[in-house]
Amino acid sequence: MPSPETEGLQRQLSDRGYIAGADICLSLHLARELRKPLLVEGPAGVGKTEIAKVLADLLDTDLIRLQCYEGLDTSTALYEWNYQRQLLQIRMEEQGEGSLEQREAHIFSEPFLLKRPLLQAITHHRAPVLLIDELDRADEEFESFLLELLSDWQITIPELGTIRATHVPHVVVTGNRTRELSDALRRRCFYLWIDYPDFDKELAIVGARVDGIDADLAAQICRFMAGARRQQLEKPPGVAETLDWARALVALHRRHLDSATIEETLGLVFKDYHDVTHVKQSLAEFLESVGVRPAAAPGAAASDAAGS
Amino acid sequence: MPPAPDTPSRGSFPDDLALHGALSANVVGFCRHLRDRGLGLGPAEAADALAALGLVDIGRESRFRLALRTCLAKSVREQQLFDDCFDRYWRVWDRAGELNRPAPDPEAGSPGRDRSQPVQMSLREWLSAGDGEEAEEQEETAGYSAGEVITHRDFAGLRPDDLEEMGRVVEELARALARRLSRRYRQLGGRGRLDLRRTLRANLLRGGELVDLAFRSRRPQKLKLVVLCDVSRSMDLYSRFLLQFLYAFAAAYRRLEVFGFSTSLRRLTPALREGEWDRVLRGLSREMPEWSGGTRIGACFASFADAWAESLVDRRTAVIVLSDGWDTGEAELLSSSLSRIRRRAFAVLWLNPLMGNPGFRPETAGLLAALPHVDLLAPAHNVAALRDLARGLGRLERGGVRRRPWAGRAGPEADPDPPPPAPDPDAPSSARNLRALAEERAARRKG
Repeated sequence: MPSPETEGLQRQLSDRGYIAGADICLSLHLARELRKPLLVEGPAGVGKTEIAKVLADLLDTDLIRLQCYEGLDTSTALYEWNYQRQLLQIRMEEQGEGSLEQREAHIFSEPFLLKRPLLQAITHHRAPVLLIDELDRADEEFESFLLELLSDWQITIPELGTIRATHVPHVVVTGNRTRELSDALRRRCFYLWIDYPDFDKELAIVGARVDGIDADLAAQICRFMAGARRQQLEKPPGVAETLDWARALVALHRRHLDSATIEETLGLVFKDYHDVTHVKQSLAEFLESVGVRPAAAPGAAASDAAGS
Repeated sequence: MPPAPDTPSRGSFPDDLALHGALSANVVGFCRHLRDRGLGLGPAEAADALAALGLVDIGRESRFRLALRTCLAKSVREQQLFDDCFDRYWRVWDRAGELNRPAPDPEAGSPGRDRSQPVQMSLREWLSAGDGEEAEEQEETAGYSAGEVITHRDFAGLRPDDLEEMGRVVEELARALARRLSRRYRQLGGRGRLDLRRTLRANLLRGGELVDLAFRSRRPQKLKLVVLCDVSRSMDLYSRFLLQFLYAFAAAYRRLEVFGFSTSLRRLTPALREGEWDRVLRGLSREMPEWSGGTRIGACFASFADAWAESLVDRRTAVIVLSDGWDTGEAELLSSSLSRIRRRAFAVLWLNPLMGNPGFRPETAGLLAALPHVDLLAPAHNVAALRDLARGLGRLERGGVRRRPWAGRAGPEADPDPPPPAPDPDAPSSARNLRALAEERAARRKG
């Protein structure tokens, strides 16, 4: 039973199709109330990014997203001068008066500034949700830079001076552990680890997110996924795959899982060549082990028999 | 402190000043307790924790626990440590049935300390004491088949008074190599993207006419290293130096992860970064209670592939195995898990101390099973070999190493990515490129 302060949050989240356990609710609650960045780690496809989206929705504010990658630099993350516009301006002022200093000051003023996500986030008219996605992919140098921003909430632009945050954004940082994030950054944040959901939670998620799904089918799918994650796979399927698959099966008007259906749609669940072949080769065994029996689907069993 | 699970809270906790005081003291005490266990907690975290407790219904234990955990444990490892410590710390209060007691002695009731003692002793013997006879005896046991191993005297053949000297040499070498490897260099040949910011700045005086072009040269990414170090009995004589080498390497090279394995796999990276070598050794012996045991390479690689490969190994990662390949487990498992690791990695290197032996041939079952999935098999039995290794890594990073000199591909699908092309020494430098471009532009303007 959740306690009052997170109960509301849990309901708000589930109203928006995000099924969250007590741990997620509590971490979100604390991060929101104490305005601390929330560092979310976990396997791919468990809804780390989704947290930021749903948080923005329920706070009724904007989501500003910074996708990290190797080589991400401040001109992509923070700001860049609008060079084309500056060039035009210089052209237009070619005959104009004004000293060189004046002209320079003009073209390096705010109208010529392109705000990238981080600058946007701290100058937004109300506190937004700032999602820094997959920070582990960015370089360590960028991480150190971010650290500074997360503690001081100000940015210095050489040509303009220091820009202070108008509102402190709600920050969600996600990571896939492709490299360990620095201790200093961890210290700055609250930490939340999201694992693959258990059967009940995943069933609830499927129920909430997939319209018109048959309860039996949903249960079968979730059992299949739970079993699949116990296998030794290169890329275990996440909740995102579960939802894709469930929606596809609904669109195909399937009421039950059977081996033919699974084989046709395997590519929606397993995204690695070796996983697909591995599962294909041992599908019968695999189905047995995850508790989906082809015989349990009467229609499918008949068509199987007819086919063979 | 927290009432038994699901007991409703007795009034509002923080409103009661006396209770609140005791609570604060205990939370701070708990932080100190965790800090003694290696969590990097300061006053800021304790303050966070107290603020967080003010926001939740701490009458429920699960809330109380989760709130503290959110504020104090900052990684999966720390969460595990937190869970271990939480009960031990807070249950004391349950049992005592009162709030105002001094914090429990953080030294008390910590298992693991005692257990690690004997291992620590034997490690220390390794480094300092060990007399000649003992070394002789160890060498006897260094391989299962004495006939194939016994003839070489490398790290294994050192006299006791050379050990310390050798340790210093190894550390120095590792630092020098790591520095060289981590130095950033400018890529030659490629021109990179036009750097508009610098171009514009440089041409401001020309009224916006772009004459001098500035280019942004991409800084090449550093190679990531994952080292799997065999610390089983047959490797005893080598692993001490290899680990010391890695210790010094880790101090100067950030992108390094180290695992030890014998009968099971342990992540040693945090322990390796723990300060002085003596302290590190203690940490290592704590992390690897099964040190100097048997070897189950296959099982250990499988658990690495399961638990770590996805997060730590990518196309820019070289996986380095330090092992003699003596495996008492299944060769089949070794082969399949190494192939799984290799599919993710940039390259897999296997360093074998036994290769220092001139008569060496990769004949152990483990090594034979591994070979098809290894890009490079190299010796690691003395300082020269370690130096060569680091040189090889430098070449590897620049794409100059031919992959897989040993065996054919495991299968057509095994390796979709070709190795990066070697830099062409005759390629024009970026400076020349720039000049050429500027001249070309100038000519076009005139024409």
